[in-house]
Amino acid sequence: MTSLHEHGLSRWIAYSPPVAWTVRQLRELLIGAIKQGPVPQHVAFVMDGNRRFAREHHIETVEGHNMGFEALARILEVCYKAGVKVVTIYAFSIENFKRSKHEVDALMELAKLKLGQLAEHGALLDRYGAAIRILGNRSLVKPDVIEAIDRAVAITANNKRAILNVCFPYTSRDEITTAIKSTVEQFSTPLDSLQTPSKRTFSESHITQQIRKQMLEEDTDGRSGAWESRSASPASMKGAKSVEEGRSSSTSTTINPSDKDETHSATPNYPDPETITAATLNEHMLTAGAPPLDLLVRTSGVERLSDFMLWQCHENTSIVFLKCLWPEFDLWQFLPVLVEWQWQKKKLQEQQKSRAHSKAD
Amino acid sequence: MAAIGITKREELAFRRGVINGKQLTAKEREELMKPFLPLEPIKTSAPSALSQSPKSPKLTQRTTSAPKPKPTPIRTFLHIVLHTVISFVFSIFFRFRRAWRLFSYKVRGVLRHHHHTPEWIVNDVKSVEQLPKHLSVILEHREDDEDQGNAGLEGLVQDVCEIAAWTASAGIPLLSIYERTGVLKNYVPALHAAIQNNLESYFGTRRRPTLTVKAPHTISYSPPGTPSSEPTENGSTTSRPHLTVLLLSEHDGRDTLVDLTVTLATMAQKGDIRKEQIDMNLVNAELSDYVSSEPDLLVLFSPTVVLKGYPPWQLRLTEIFHLPDNKGVNYQVFLKALKKFGKAEFRVGK
Repeated sequence: MTSLHEHGLSRWIAYSPPVAWTVRQLRELLIGAIKQGPVPQHVAFVMDGNRRFAREHHIETVEGHNMGFEALARILEVCYKAGVKVVTIYAFSIENFKRSKHEVDALMELAKLKLGQLAEHGALLDRYGAAIRILGNRSLVKPDVIEAIDRAVAITANNKRAILNVCFPYTSRDEITTAIKSTVEQFSTPLDSLQTPSKRTFSESHITQQIRKQMLEEDTDGRSGAWESRSASPASMKGAKSVEEGRSSSTSTTINPSDKDETHSATPNYPDPETITAATLNEHMLTAGAPPLDLLVRTSGVERLSDFMLWQCHENTSIVFLKCLWPEFDLWQFLPVLVEWQWQKKKLQEQQKSRAHSKAD
Repeated sequence: MAAIGITKREELAFRRGVINGKQLTAKEREELMKPFLPLEPIKTSAPSALSQSPKSPKLTQRTTSAPKPKPTPIRTFLHIVLHTVISFVFSIFFRFRRAWRLFSYKVRGVLRHHHHTPEWIVNDVKSVEQLPKHLSVILEHREDDEDQGNAGLEGLVQDVCEIAAWTASAGIPLLSIYERTGVLKNYVPALHAAIQNNLESYFGTRRRPTLTVKAPHTISYSPPGTPSSEPTENGSTTSRPHLTVLLLSEHDGRDTLVDLTVTLATMAQKGDIRKEQIDMNLVNAELSDYVSSEPDLLVLFSPTVVLKGYPPWQLRLTEIFHLPDNKGVNYQVFLKALKKFGKAEFRVGK
């Protein structure tokens, strides 16, 4: 169909069973060979060039995306067979919503279809052991797609061997902002609220109330009834939270429930914000728990990150920009990238070793 | 297509889920997929397991890192041999490629030198349609020089001076210099003097652009006596161009985002800010005011693209340029980066 317009003969040869078999064996062999060296644990792909590919081959844009999906399938096969633990792909940017409605709808449809197909074959997915995770801003996705996402994620959730992160719809700035927000939220939630009074049989505040009641009874027997009814009600409502107020009010002479509420909100017990570190933020990123990003590949010759994995890739990640378009991307393009990565890794290790040696001297 | 090792019939089946015009059932799909699936090491008890659907066959296939049925010694041996051969061949290839590239860069560097004259540089960038308004570079503070002659602080300052002069000549108003350790930030006045001197050697005393050197969280340094415009002898007032040099370090990346989070958390604890008020615009405004705006073009002088802790937030749409295998600061990288930038097309999301 729409694939490359190759010559009839070469096509015929390539598709003939013996050739196909040989090529397949060769691929397996190469992947096995790659596995012998260091393999990146976390690889990210920006799948760029589907539309240009479609334009250049005079096919529908949507068909270009379809071919891109096939390329993705091939490359994922290579990655996981070679021993990559986490693959992150940039499937859909929040900015992509600016594209034509027709294309956005088609992409959503494609996502739904693929995820739906995936969910049908849960048993096989278990065998392969890859868990799918969708990273992105869910609030922007239509409910029917969300449903497909959730099903696929749930079905593969127990797989531990490998992870496929699908960024959909995602931008890195959105991710960082969300991480900051949730960190702030975590640190502005009072610690005390976490321990509900039901967890403990005895509440400190209640004991305080009891003691105070006794003291009051000793002081003024006549008025004790009124005090009791007043002071008991706030305590039972607030439970463990009102420890401090309980103490402070026990010393004060006039007890007013409304005053108590104010003093309470002024002195909640928050975690110390100074304990926030880069690691804290890292845990709030969508890729929390994944190994550090080793390799980021972007196809189609565009040398930009386009709001992808900014937080993850700005440290020691090798970033590779390739000229080929994403639908053309295959083992044959990826192999040199991997080999070069291994080579650089080896060189880096040698350098570190020699540096350590020279320092020791 | 041809090189992925499937036959025509299989390709059609994978793509369309159809064989001989018939839609496949789940069972048939499973049969079809069998030869492609890595054999199951753990539970082989599920032959009735569903297969892939035609379009997701590889989805499952790739999801695996399942070991081969029997990693026979012969196979492993073959892999090791092949790995050795590949690494060997490629390492020779990489070395030759690097040598060739370095050679061609050197030749071009000699042929198209800037001769320390702004006019040459202006001429070089004349053909560039759009220039970045904010240029950023990543430099390295190395302790030992690998015959580059740019070791230590002195080499670093020298690089900064040269780049500043090129940037000013090309007419770019803002240059940010990222250096991981931030050592330059300790010598702002000295650096200012050094850059000024170098600018003078390029432009001459009277045409020399005015200069501000600053670092985030500090007061910008532009000593008095550098008015932005002054009357010339002919009586006409020519405003001299102005160059701002911004010094960035690793601290302006993750640490600054952490600082921002700490501040926001403290405010939230006091009730000064609500959660809903924290959004991308706020973060962006804070970071671009206190650290740096988004550079249009980032130039690396390293052989590969590794960002070394460059502030992440600012990198969103920045064009990243590097010359493969290049080592050290040189004018050719700078010029090529500008030329490439001139051609780049900017489409956000499209």
